[in-house]
Amino acid sequence: MGFDRRSFISLVVGGAVGTTLTPVIWKTLDDVSIWSQNWSWIPRLKYGEEGKRFALCKLGADAYGIKIKTIAGNPVVAEGDPDHPLSLGGICPLGAASVQLLYSPSRVRNPKVKDGNTFKDISWEEAESLLAEKIKAAGSDIAMVSGDETGSVTDILTGLVGQAGSKNAFLMPSESGPAAQALALLGGDGQIGYDLENSDYILMLGADVLGSWGNVTRNGKAFAAGRKKDAQYVYVGPAQNGTAAVADKWVPCAPGTEAVLAMGLAGVIIADGGGRPFWSGFSQFSQFVSSTYPLEKVAQITGVPAETIKELAQTLGKAKHPLVLTAAGASQGLGAFEAVAGMCLNMLLERINETGGVRVLPWNPRVIDAAMEHKNLLANDLVAYLSAIADGSASAPAVFMIYGANPAHSLPNLAKVQAALEKADFLVSFSSFMDETAALADLIMPDSYGFERLDDSYSPYGSAQPLYTVAAPIIKPVYDTKPAGDVLLSVASAAGLDLGFDSFEDVVQAKAEALGADYDDMVDGTAWVGTEFPVQDLELWSTPLREIEAPVADGKSLALAPVVRLKIGSSKLATPPFGTNAIRYDEMSGREMYVLVNGVTAKNLGLQQDDAVKLTSASGECQARLRIFEGVMDNTVVAPLGFGHTAWDDFSRGKGDNVFKLLPASTEDQTGVSRFATVQVVLGKA
Amino acid sequence: MQAIEFKVKWGMLVNLDKCTGCGACTVACRAENNLSPEVEAGNKLRTNDWMNIYELSNGEPFPHHEVAYLPRPCMQCGKPSCSTVCPVVATTKDEEGGIVSQVYPRCIGCRYCMAACPYHARYFNWFDPVWPEGMEKTLTPYVSARPRGVVEKCTFCHHRFMAAKERARMNDEDPTQLAEDAYIPACAEICPTGAITFGDLHNPDHEISKLVASPNAFRLLVKLGTDPQVYYYSEREWVRKLGDNYLKNDKGGENV
Repeated sequence: MGFDRRSFISLVVGGAVGTTLTPVIWKTLDDVSIWSQNWSWIPRLKYGEEGKRFALCKLGADAYGIKIKTIAGNPVVAEGDPDHPLSLGGICPLGAASVQLLYSPSRVRNPKVKDGNTFKDISWEEAESLLAEKIKAAGSDIAMVSGDETGSVTDILTGLVGQAGSKNAFLMPSESGPAAQALALLGGDGQIGYDLENSDYILMLGADVLGSWGNVTRNGKAFAAGRKKDAQYVYVGPAQNGTAAVADKWVPCAPGTEAVLAMGLAGVIIADGGGRPFWSGFSQFSQFVSSTYPLEKVAQITGVPAETIKELAQTLGKAKHPLVLTAAGASQGLGAFEAVAGMCLNMLLERINETGGVRVLPWNPRVIDAAMEHKNLLANDLVAYLSAIADGSASAPAVFMIYGANPAHSLPNLAKVQAALEKADFLVSFSSFMDETAALADLIMPDSYGFERLDDSYSPYGSAQPLYTVAAPIIKPVYDTKPAGDVLLSVASAAGLDLGFDSFEDVVQAKAEALGADYDDMVDGTAWVGTEFPVQDLELWSTPLREIEAPVADGKSLALAPVVRLKIGSSKLATPPFGTNAIRYDEMSGREMYVLVNGVTAKNLGLQQDDAVKLTSASGECQARLRIFEGVMDNTVVAPLGFGHTAWDDFSRGKGDNVFKLLPASTEDQTGVSRFATVQVVLGKA
Repeated sequence: MQAIEFKVKWGMLVNLDKCTGCGACTVACRAENNLSPEVEAGNKLRTNDWMNIYELSNGEPFPHHEVAYLPRPCMQCGKPSCSTVCPVVATTKDEEGGIVSQVYPRCIGCRYCMAACPYHARYFNWFDPVWPEGMEKTLTPYVSARPRGVVEKCTFCHHRFMAAKERARMNDEDPTQLAEDAYIPACAEICPTGAITFGDLHNPDHEISKLVASPNAFRLLVKLGTDPQVYYYSEREWVRKLGDNYLKNDKGGENV
């Protein structure tokens, strides 16, 4: 019996059938598919008990409570906090990317001192004694900038500077400065807040309420709730944005002229019999409005047709709980008189300390004796100070401390600002990240990141109630960083300046006590909510009455409408690693940012979609690509702030261009506020 | 091919009259589902965006122009085009709940599914994922990291579905009758304007089952017969019309 053809075929077929019946081949295939994707450089997941911890998100202009999910104690993702009044479960794009920033490649991992063109690592002891020495030697020749309006670290800084005998304490520009000055001009005293939740008609004069203005997340929640009860939202601004996309109406209005429109609306309301003659200041104000702001003139300056202005005024008058929010499109750069115009409109509508109206909140309590009163701090103008240093009309401080802010990137008059920072004898940065300011610094004392330290926040601008929030650290510092509050207290005491506190926690406890809040409850994330609103005795704008400066179109240049989109970053933060993908294809192409004009404007300039363009103003120039977007007014160009970083990391460096380069600042007389909401720019092919 | 009918059918409705296109959902989705941060995200041919936001325009010139934003997750189609073309059964629609699965280790990277998906909801890993040093510590334990050569997509945060069912079983509740807030994807949870509603399309107690019946609710490219489980809502007619945006000269489309 040989091995014949039949046996051969039986063997092959039998073998093939048999193989399919064994699990070996399937198991092997399965293993191959698993193991061919199982490489050592693909990170493994870590498992562990899930927890949730409370934290504060201060990455934008706002400061609100969020929840951090932890796995075996390690923070992994951020979510909204349904119980915090300024989150209500929502989160902004920066908050959503906040956990990963703990390990951002731009984190400054240890104290550094400038060594020629680079930095040299030093120990905390060396850094602290170096700064103490410099402060001692500087005497009262010392200055500070803080980008944290709501936290007590700022109080420590102003206290340190104040104790040293200097008044050069500054905040980064924001909406709250002009708002506070405006209230003071009208005879009031306090922090302005807005009861969006209970308003039924919200007129947003430039205020990008759902994009960058005030408490963005809480605004969103108030909007969602308002939609259920038929509240109306009207957005007035030079271009459509996220807020305009969902508002009931968009009214195009030339950038930087929103306050003029407010005066126009006031004029119509007064002409229709609004306001009461016995109100203090009414006669001067009404006369000023009718003589200075006739309807046709307002229409001509703002580009809003007279008919539309009348309609808006009538709707405002008819609404039960109307509210007017006046702001610059990028939520900074407004003058005090513009804020006054917005306030007066609310006063005419009798909306002060009313349901769904403007609220006046008590100021952030002062617990450090040497600290500057918050309203005085808000009145100090940083841009004017830095410009004066650059021009030589003020002397550069011997020690200049920068906390939670990035003035070297995010201020108007940028060339002067950078020159002034370079002029300072000893520039100290407390930044957690290697931002443009830290890169210029002589000494970097890296602050621990928000989640690595105790943090607090008193009523961010816009908040309808006095609010105090405290967040305990949720993770030990991952690098060799220290909380700036504690570092400053220890440096102050080494420099012989006694601020009356030994630790930052003591300061926060004292503040909680001053407010009558329970600190122990608060560290778990229960916000303290105040219910008292100081009574205001306001009079309508009567001194010094002056026409609001409006940009003048010259027929050749375009009006610049700078916008803030939080996913791109804020004035403190460059685009976070987890934010890059949220930037759409029509906002950035490759590494170039888009600026927007409408079709008619583009045609007039002979420009086409995707052309490489150059924007030139009196202050500087910017490179970009052109996008034709019909939601922009004629002769207006929209450009995003927050790009054009030169420090930081690969996620933001060298992407787009810095629009702050285009923005000059003019100083408002009487108030000294720097205005930089807009500028005329020439747009042409690059 | 016969589509399976499920007792529970998870659906999402995005109210485009509330979406501001802020991008918080996109970011939250990345963090939750372990998508790696991308340095060159300006090149959209290579990015990986499970939740992608598009800008819609009514096509009119200034001042009659209107704008809206449309977040686009995976549509979890009732009759998916993707799972039917997968040669290795790496993507299926066979689990109660009606979520289109994506089994990464099975995927051979042929990208047939990407070609088949009319919503561009699927993404290919052109590169191995890279987290900057230390950032891998923020990986969630919910979704494994995918290597180069694998296709991925939104899963309605399927891990949250599994966790919700487990919680229900622990509490002696019926895992097929989850309460409305028991299971909700990350994007819907954190949206600052509450634009996203999520729930069981078959459960009359869930708000979404009523919302989808509104004449203002619509789905994308319904003419293709994919039967998506993601709905959109807008009171603006031009926005609804864009849901079926065929070529300008196409006959039979609504927008001709």
